[in-house]
Amino acid sequence: MKPSGLAKELAGIVGKDGVLWNPEDLMLYEYDALSSLRQPDAVVFPRNTEHVVQIAKAALRRNLALVARGAGTGLSGGSVATEGGILLVFSRMKQILEIDLENQRARVQPGVVNLDLSLAVADAGYYYAPDPSSQKACTIGGNVAENSGGPHTLAYGVTTNHVLSLEVVLPDGEVIRTGSSHWDRPGYDLTGLFVGSEGTLGVVTEATVRLCRKPEAIKTILAIYDQVADATRTVAAITARGITPAALEMMDGFTLRAVEEATHAGYPMDCAAVLLIEVEGLKEAVEEHAEEIEAVCRENHAREVRRAKTAEERDLLWKGRKTAFGALGRISPNYYVQDGVIPRTRLPEMLDFIGSIEKKYDLRIGNIFHAGDGNLHPLLMYDERDRDQTARVMKAAKEIILQCVEMGGSITGEHGVGVEKNDLMPLIFSETDLELMARIKNLFNPLGHLNPGKLLPTGKMCGELRGGTAAGGMV
Amino acid sequence: MTLAVDSLRADLSAMLDSTSVASDAAVLAALAVDDKVPATAVAPTTAEQVAPVLQYASEHHQGLIARGNGTKLSMGAPPRQYDIALSLREMKRVTHYEPADLTISVEAGMTFGEFQTLVGQNGLWLPLDPRGGPDATMGGIIAANAAGPLRQAFGGPRDMVLGLKIATTDGKIAKTGGRVVKNVAGYDLGKLLTGSFGTLGVIVEASLKLFPKPPERATFVMRAGTLGIARELRRGILRSPLDPMRLVLLDSGAVALLESSSPSDVQAGAELWVEVGGSHRVIERCMLELKHAAFAVGATLARREGAEEAWGKVSNLALWLQTKYRDVTVLKAALPLAASEEFLSYAEQEAEAERVRLAGFAQVGVGVVHLCLLQETMGANVTGLVLRLRRSANGLKGSLVVEHCPLDLKNQLDVWGSDGDDLPIMRKMKSAWDPEGVLAPGRFLGF
Repeated sequence: MKPSGLAKELAGIVGKDGVLWNPEDLMLYEYDALSSLRQPDAVVFPRNTEHVVQIAKAALRRNLALVARGAGTGLSGGSVATEGGILLVFSRMKQILEIDLENQRARVQPGVVNLDLSLAVADAGYYYAPDPSSQKACTIGGNVAENSGGPHTLAYGVTTNHVLSLEVVLPDGEVIRTGSSHWDRPGYDLTGLFVGSEGTLGVVTEATVRLCRKPEAIKTILAIYDQVADATRTVAAITARGITPAALEMMDGFTLRAVEEATHAGYPMDCAAVLLIEVEGLKEAVEEHAEEIEAVCRENHAREVRRAKTAEERDLLWKGRKTAFGALGRISPNYYVQDGVIPRTRLPEMLDFIGSIEKKYDLRIGNIFHAGDGNLHPLLMYDERDRDQTARVMKAAKEIILQCVEMGGSITGEHGVGVEKNDLMPLIFSETDLELMARIKNLFNPLGHLNPGKLLPTGKMCGELRGGTAAGGMV
Repeated sequence: MTLAVDSLRADLSAMLDSTSVASDAAVLAALAVDDKVPATAVAPTTAEQVAPVLQYASEHHQGLIARGNGTKLSMGAPPRQYDIALSLREMKRVTHYEPADLTISVEAGMTFGEFQTLVGQNGLWLPLDPRGGPDATMGGIIAANAAGPLRQAFGGPRDMVLGLKIATTDGKIAKTGGRVVKNVAGYDLGKLLTGSFGTLGVIVEASLKLFPKPPERATFVMRAGTLGIARELRRGILRSPLDPMRLVLLDSGAVALLESSSPSDVQAGAELWVEVGGSHRVIERCMLELKHAAFAVGATLARREGAEEAWGKVSNLALWLQTKYRDVTVLKAALPLAASEEFLSYAEQEAEAERVRLAGFAQVGVGVVHLCLLQETMGANVTGLVLRLRRSANGLKGSLVVEHCPLDLKNQLDVWGSDGDDLPIMRKMKSAWDPEGVLAPGRFLGF
């Protein structure tokens, strides 16, 4: 097959080796961690900001959609060119441009892998705090677009709390720099607006982020329960005691067994739930908090409370947690990950609710939560070949999200809206709220060709989860 | 623009309860901004009353300035037009409070003092020390993104706002964010509004994240003497495992000013004030670490009892100094943190050359340096001094804002000094929210 005019034009910008146009190559880019959706017309790998500017101009001239993508680990379809067009892939812009420890910050290209940044500054005693479970693969650019979280954001905040400044290419090819490498530059907080805008306002070509100093001491506690409700009550009790752990995660027994079989991390095989709790800081503070947390766990009927004795033990426990989605993939052909948020005091109720949904729709649902901040990730198992089961999963997932809204929560805590939930936005935002967001979008992206069809409702039926393969979880 | 005052008041009275519309000259005079007195003042009691006032202002081209207690109104350029003072002080309800969730939603007019008292009953606090202190209102704190030295450990309002309810110039009430601590649904318009100084819309309600109060707090004063030693101390502390709540360097002028009640301290040079929090054991440990840090550079360390009053002054420089001096200028430089001492040193030299008394308070862990210029010599070229200091801040890749100054100086200066390549976007942003330019006209970035 001959390269299209588009491919030739893009090759003129980045070189022949920086463009993919063969359908079999494009196939690799038709999905993210949500699902297989659609192929782009071309994939292009810019190596610098000027390339992005030229590509943006080409997209504009050709009236094509322009979609940015890092590692494609997103869970809401944000980095898939769902309406075709040009897919900008940042895997060749992965340099750490500057590490400035004295000022506790780093300047990076968007394709830098999250964990690589932490590793680059680890020897000096620093790290980059937001730690999505996909941190070994996902990129800072993608994190910025989605305002990614992770287990340790409970104490340290999500991506938006760690980004100081961005270089952004606007849809017309203009390059702007938002914020500054320090606090409080006078002006509107455009950095705060761009973080989490899911690539619909501009394309980030550089980010200046904060680096944090590694804590002196870390204690990792595993509390094991025979009743799920005891675990969720513990979460509320820890918060009520005024302790903010660095991380407070919950996994239910079903998920745990899958995790243990996959990772042999040392999780018990016969319990109803565990809490994985981490405290960090000065060793005196950590010791006190750890003791207090252990007491709270016992008061709430934990069967056993263990501490990781070594760094290896700790790493293993976290490996189990961070690879849990994959572990469930081993036991079910497909699964759908829901991402909802509720006030954390409502966790016990919510778990009961999810249990009742499981029964009502005759499904298996695994529960992995960032319990400390009320961010739920129920995983609904199914086999996409079973159309009835698939339909039941979609209904169940929707009921769960409706319940989150009912409890005063949100439709997404960290996975983003993307194409998955844009039509659910009216559940939590009024027409006025959405109109205001649309107005902001139009300022930057008046033609709507930058990551089209994402974030804002597309006018399809409100509150309808996309069914069928569109939500068939990729593993 | 030339709306008769009487018809303006009559229109607003018809929209609101007439008792919420002020026409008394003394009342209006007290609401002046940079000596400009509004034609009328309104004090709505609900969000639903705020929105039509904004719409009215927009439709009739009436300049409107939203305010709480006015503790930060000396920030910003003089208003180009000021017809309506919109007070939010009558809106101070708590609309949602779940202490166990560490979340709260309050209306904009509640004062910070009232707020802290309320959540303090549950052992919680909002770890901010904004200008205005207990008198500042929640809406004002967010509109100004007002953070003090506590930012060292906790960040600023932008990091604590979970959601906002905003009245807009098209007469609507919009919501952004939510009430839960983690939420990525939709654009984070709350970030735009935070620090927008009432120029995009009016914040009528805010949902905030709360924090457990530390069981104990202690302040240590490290006597460095010189800025060079202070820099070494700062480096030592930031490299140590300590996580101070506040970390402020006071230059000798600041020390003298703060300690004016006890003359024996006046000879002291630069001091680094460090506040730590935690259990008794944690504080003991912090003291030990700080002692080591001080010893390493030949500084002394003393625990300071009853430091809260002094911290109150440090986080409220303009309002505190205003009570003591006639002409006070407060500048805020935001810099890469490691440039704090160098900048302070440059400022000392420049001020001395102009024979202007200077007191410098530097949040050295975050790079925010407040310079207080106390003009004693008439005719000193303060304008030139401010411009030189701004050039120096810009040279260090930072910025410098005039947070408070006498009006004649303000008329000669661009208080914001903003010149980034994102300014045209910001201007577009302003037009999208406030097409007629009636919200705090001319006050922010020249918009």
